[in-house]
Amino acid sequence: MPPKAPLGADLVIPVLALGFAIYFFWSIADLVWEAKANGVVIGAVLVGLVVLQLARIAADVAKGRGDLRADPLWRPWDTFAKRLGMVLVTVAFIALLETLGLTLSLLLAMAVALAIMGVRKPWTVAWISVAVAAAAYLLFIAVLDSAFPHGPIEKLFS
Amino acid sequence: MSWEFLAAQFAAQFGLWWIIWAGILLGIVVGILPGFSPQNTLIMLLPLTLGIPVDQAFAFMVSLYCANHLAGGVPAILVKIPGSGGAAATTLDGYPMTQKGQAQQAIVLSFTASVFGGLITTLATLALLPWLSQIGLYLRSVEMVVVMLFGLTLIAVIAAKDTLKGLISGLFGLLIGVIGTDHIYNAPRATFGFLELYDGVPLVAALIGLFAVSEALVMIEEKLIVGKEGRERATRASWADTLDGLRLTAQKWWHIVWTSFVGLFIGIVPGAGASIAAFVAYQQSRMWSKHPERYGTGVPEGVIAPEAANNGVTSGTLVPTLALGVPGGSTAAVMMIVLQYHGMVMGPRLFTTNPELAYGVFVAMAVAYIFMIFTILPLARYMARIVLIETTYLVPVIVLVTVVAAFVERQYVFDMALALVFGVIGYIAHKTNYHVTAMLIGIILGPLFEQYLARALRISQGDLSVLFSSTLGNILWAFLVLSLVLPALKSRLRKSR
Repeated sequence: MPPKAPLGADLVIPVLALGFAIYFFWSIADLVWEAKANGVVIGAVLVGLVVLQLARIAADVAKGRGDLRADPLWRPWDTFAKRLGMVLVTVAFIALLETLGLTLSLLLAMAVALAIMGVRKPWTVAWISVAVAAAAYLLFIAVLDSAFPHGPIEKLFS
Repeated sequence: MSWEFLAAQFAAQFGLWWIIWAGILLGIVVGILPGFSPQNTLIMLLPLTLGIPVDQAFAFMVSLYCANHLAGGVPAILVKIPGSGGAAATTLDGYPMTQKGQAQQAIVLSFTASVFGGLITTLATLALLPWLSQIGLYLRSVEMVVVMLFGLTLIAVIAAKDTLKGLISGLFGLLIGVIGTDHIYNAPRATFGFLELYDGVPLVAALIGLFAVSEALVMIEEKLIVGKEGRERATRASWADTLDGLRLTAQKWWHIVWTSFVGLFIGIVPGAGASIAAFVAYQQSRMWSKHPERYGTGVPEGVIAPEAANNGVTSGTLVPTLALGVPGGSTAAVMMIVLQYHGMVMGPRLFTTNPELAYGVFVAMAVAYIFMIFTILPLARYMARIVLIETTYLVPVIVLVTVVAAFVERQYVFDMALALVFGVIGYIAHKTNYHVTAMLIGIILGPLFEQYLARALRISQGDLSVLFSSTLGNILWAFLVLSLVLPALKSRLRKSR
């Protein structure tokens, strides 16, 4: 007997799409027709397609061809921690950007991200982090003069 | 337009080699980096282009624009991250070629298809300009709505293994693309209370999240992008692989010609752009192929079709800009601003009052393509080496640097967070075969789709039957239905045999 397909993972995108379509309908409920026509047309077709997909998954589960496991989303397990770590480092990087500025926050985030990915040589971590942060400083701050938040390093060189 | 006039134009543009080369080099850099669009770069360089003579300004802008379209294919092939929406279709066969150890051949194919596709369509535009400029007049809001739905359907059908999943991804993207205030009353819709979303979802953040971040999160699972065999081939890569890419180009010359014309005709339609052109060309290429089942596994035609088409768009998009005064895309709109600043009036009269400039633009484009092939082809061998870098180093650089690049378009930290959110959505989509390309194209088309639909519905006072009121529109509807039904019928026929 073939193994059952993990169809729980297949539900995530349709459920997100359905939730978003419902929120969209709610947000345009009081608007004039010109402002909501587009959302209604696209949203209605999207809801129809999602219902079709949900029915297909339900039929597969009922016939025993699949179950509601969602493990393809986090498998293989040995890389799950790295993946989660990368997301968390990026969240921390964005959160610290306003305080530390682009160069310093990118340097720290790069060093932590490399460590999470398994780079153990301190010199390798250091030179890659410094090179990436310096390149970002040169391109975005020195050359393009972008509106990135300025921290201690930017203030030092300004 | 006489031969003497044309020869004089070519001589004049070759004389501007220094500014054309500068445009090419900058275009290649911004094309490779996701987050830097040609229109943003041109906006940042407005002080330069407004300050120099108009012929030099235009030569610089078109060179940058064409080189940008060419270079967008490089990251699409090497790391499955398109430099722009127009290169999204290149990932379908370009990245599998890289995984097979044929990165160098794929890059050479991408360069030659881009250059020759761009060159051929530019020369064709020069010859057929008066007639081509009329095409845009036949497509009104109703037809444009169907063209966009047709494009999205094609992407859903060809890019995704499962049509229903492809359509859900495309429609989900289209609805995300409608986030923001509406065009008539400025009423906010589905903004989650964020002021930053009132202008809509930033395309660069969506592109970076759905392609770069999500792909990097998947990449973690492997030590290298390429397999063992691919690594051995990449390690042994030499100039012979560049020559092999050129041999493939010579073999598939006809493919380059006809797919670039697909790009030219789609480029003439205002707003349609490189993203749709690349996918339509890819779909047509697959449809007429003797081995359509091999598409998606790394076939040369799968790289040639989107790259020739997205460079065919470059000359197409300037046709309505110059001939009708209607910009064919956002980059063309920036170019139009520069021309107007210099006192040029767009429209049919431009070709009689200032033929040197009107035709000179396309000649500059042709010259830029000639320079481009000599500039970039020798670099293919070195670019292909990136696949030998371990993902341990590649993943942190891709995630953090591209998230930083998401800031560039609008200068909001919010956009960086949005790129991460799209990255997580893209990762889930990757893992469950909901195609991210269809989602991205939906997001790109969302605002345009709304604009044309609102226009059509205003004319009909909200009556949806207006969408079936034109002959050309109905023909396009028929094609749309056929593109959905035919693949299903074909596979059923194959199974019954």
